[in-house]
Amino acid sequence: MVASEIHYPATVADLLQLQRDNPSLLIYAGGTEILRERGGRFVDLPPVIALLDGISDLRTVNRTEGFVDLGAGLRMSEILAIRKRTLPEAFVRTLRGIATPAIRNLATIGGNLATRRRFMDTWSILACLDATMELRDAAGPRWVNVNRLADEAGKPAFPVGALLTKIRIPLEHWTHGVTKKTGNPAWPSAESATFSVIARIDKSVVDSIRMAWAGMTAFRFPELEGRIVGLGLPLDPPDRARIVEAFAEAAAELDPESAPRFALLVDAALELLGR
Amino acid sequence: MTVTFILNGEDVSVRATSGDRLVDVLREDFGLLAAKADCRKGTCGKCLVLVDGRLVPSCMIPAFKIKGREVVTMEGFVQTIEYEDLRKGVEEAGLETCGFCESGLLLALGSLLESSARPTREEVLEAVSSVQCRCTDPETTIAAALAAADHRGRRTYRRGRQ
Repeated sequence: MVASEIHYPATVADLLQLQRDNPSLLIYAGGTEILRERGGRFVDLPPVIALLDGISDLRTVNRTEGFVDLGAGLRMSEILAIRKRTLPEAFVRTLRGIATPAIRNLATIGGNLATRRRFMDTWSILACLDATMELRDAAGPRWVNVNRLADEAGKPAFPVGALLTKIRIPLEHWTHGVTKKTGNPAWPSAESATFSVIARIDKSVVDSIRMAWAGMTAFRFPELEGRIVGLGLPLDPPDRARIVEAFAEAAAELDPESAPRFALLVDAALELLGR
Repeated sequence: MTVTFILNGEDVSVRATSGDRLVDVLREDFGLLAAKADCRKGTCGKCLVLVDGRLVPSCMIPAFKIKGREVVTMEGFVQTIEYEDLRKGVEEAGLETCGFCESGLLLALGSLLESSARPTREEVLEAVSSVQCRCTDPETTIAAALAAADHRGRRTYRRGRQ
């Protein structure tokens, strides 16, 4: 077991410098996924670790008329404690469904998004909400859509050497929003995944709809979502079947194992919206 | 490395490696055995403690992360007046817990009452969902929490009038 060198940076600039000096630096936020992966009495951690607890810039909340910015170092429980109606309801409900209150007291929103091995619970709802992230590296800060965390094959693609500092969530009005978890509800396994759908329904007509899946792969199909827009609810059964089939085919190209479950959830979502 | 923190109200220091989890430090270096290391994945709730007032699984915290923080274990919690309120509520409701979950369950309820003076049934169930043991039934747990909230409310009301 290696005795790790622990750093407690006070600013994002200090952290970026540490990262430049130590390319294999482990950035330690809530650490829930890091410690869960490493069972046993002693935890085998990389030689250099940076703890984010002391960086106050990563723990801010800023709301404007059009969006809310969440610091990546905010814990899930801290986000849930933010005044009601500050955040989209579907996002809040998704956070409430993550693990247990004790784990949510440790886990951070940034850690949930930046996991390299798989996609965690917040990706699907944030992808639906068209959230963006502030990434910082030696070249400076930049904003990118959370969709960019998945590559063309739907696999995790967190940019190497970048630091996730903020998540920006647009504040649009949605009439419906549901997140459903499949597989082990307590901890992510190879089978577990999260499916989110948000929609705006006006006089029984679909004004806008977004659906996303996040597990070992992550995907969203805006072109297919566009085919539902303008349709009256409830959908005609043949139309619904055709739409579900199209989503299933698109998902099968990226993740054949998950495609049937994804299709079932798309069908359930369309049925729910029609009630 | 040496980690300095506040443990049950006292300043303490401990020699720990970067691979040590808080639960093992508490048990092996300080002899505080109420928190138990079982799943080591943060799911069972047997190792729950309060860090800076927040309920957390101590198996999911490396020792280096508690530098400068305040840790309260069940051994420290039983010394508080808040525990007395909870104890009365537990006795009145007839809540009986097993030796595995007792510490986590009571700390979860204590933490809930700290943030919510009059919790709802849903809030109680949500709070104890951090503990996986099923040795006691939910209704008795809810009754204990509400009775403890009453005791706490009466005590703080009396103190306010003095």
